Amino acid sequence: MTTFVVVGAGEAGGTAAATLREEGFDGEIVLIGAEPMAPYERPPLSKEYLRGESDHVFVRPPEWYGEHAIRTRFGTRAERVNVEDSVVELEGGERVPYDQVVIATGSRNRRPPIPGLELPGVFDLRFAPNADAIKEAAENATKAVLVGMGFIGAEVTASLRQLGLEATVIEATSTPMERVLGPELGGAIAALHRDHGVEMIFNDGAERFEGDGRFEAMVTREGRRIEGDFAVVGVGVEPVTEVAGDGVPVDNGIPVDATLRTAVENVWAVGDVARHDHPVFGPIRVEHFDNALKMGERVAKNMLGAGAVFDDAHWFWSDQYDAKIEMAGFATQWDDMVVRGSIEDRSFSAFLLKDGQLLSTFSMNRKFDVRRSMPLISARLRPEREQLADPELDLRTLRPPKE
Amino acid sequence: MSEWVKVGSAGEVPDGEVTAFSAGDRQIAIANVEGDLHAFDELCTHQQCSLAEGELEGTTIECACHGSMFDVTSGEAIGGPAVDPLGVYQVKEEDGELRVLVEEE
Repeated sequence: MTTFVVVGAGEAGGTAAATLREEGFDGEIVLIGAEPMAPYERPPLSKEYLRGESDHVFVRPPEWYGEHAIRTRFGTRAERVNVEDSVVELEGGERVPYDQVVIATGSRNRRPPIPGLELPGVFDLRFAPNADAIKEAAENATKAVLVGMGFIGAEVTASLRQLGLEATVIEATSTPMERVLGPELGGAIAALHRDHGVEMIFNDGAERFEGDGRFEAMVTREGRRIEGDFAVVGVGVEPVTEVAGDGVPVDNGIPVDATLRTAVENVWAVGDVARHDHPVFGPIRVEHFDNALKMGERVAKNMLGAGAVFDDAHWFWSDQYDAKIEMAGFATQWDDMVVRGSIEDRSFSAFLLKDGQLLSTFSMNRKFDVRRSMPLISARLRPEREQLADPELDLRTLRPPKE
Repeated sequence: MSEWVKVGSAGEVPDGEVTAFSAGDRQIAIANVEGDLHAFDELCTHQQCSLAEGELEGTTIECACHGSMFDVTSGEAIGGPAVDPLGVYQVKEEDGELRVLVEEE
């Protein structure tokens, strides 16, 4: 019998395994994951789940895999995809043979070499038990110290404020997410948090964490000392590539072609770990939920022979307080920004362009613009600035005609 | 037993729009696709966001929260994170009323 193995059981891996079965594959499917739980969604971990408003949201109900004859090995780490023998080597020595394999090992949090990082009371957030630990710490706390104001850091900050804690955040740049958003949009996020009573320190970083057996204070590079009951560090992630061994090339993740196939014919990679040759953006590694889900679906279909290019424009949301933030596309070096609506009133969309081409759209509390702009980004359109700036113009009317 | 319940007035849902209604203790959304009305559960099966806030394109409704997509004619989940289908209901306009056929509990 043909065997397809999925290594990594997060959103991408779980979706890939499920989609294989849903698309009619009747061979053997093995889903291997280091976490003990069935694949679950991570976005709620910094939001609803952290605030105690929701339980885990599963990719498929935990019993679904057994009911659909998917063999699961949760709580088991895969050590290596051995491409010479076409087997996945598990911790403990077991070997799982495959005809095709998907690597969906995701990413792990960066752990910068900051003294005191290992102190109890210094947390980071990636997995469900991390969220549980922060939640528990927050129950008996009045003040949190946060390091890093990327999207996860900003969401955790918002959730802790919503739980009634004081929060001080330190960020290395001069506004949140400045490298991605630029100072004006980053400033809009800073203003949002300022209005919710967050103390923000920019252009500074954590020098060390101090405490007698447990976190008590963070000392910054500029010499500030910020006390708190606990700290949360969110300074980015790195791809988990060890499983590639020396058989699958690695270069800032696992490079895959436009169809999600690696340099090895029967090895694929999806989700955070995949550095995808995107038809619009070029080689790119994306660390968002929706991308993991859509890559999981696409790779399953391609393993079954579809051979289709993955050209999704990438989309994510971030809920902070009552603000609904969305972003699509990818722009590191945009040279023009067009805004519709009002940044000051927190109801706006910002279109990021390079040489007139729409590369990315960011919105706060304007629910349709971002997703309506995705087909425009995928089609490499150069919309008129006046059209983008007009809040009444439905972006769907700018789509290229269907062939 | 099932019965036709008045939820609103005929003509209340314009073409291309989705509107939320209550039918007893049920929350139902009604979409108008080129003159054809389709009634379905208002709350997304993923995280219970209101689909009346979503984007209707053809017969597909996309949830504004997390991008789940459903076929409004069948309730089937056809994209995004939702797995479970929506309940769908018969709907008609009669005697100036907008009516939905619901099962009695």
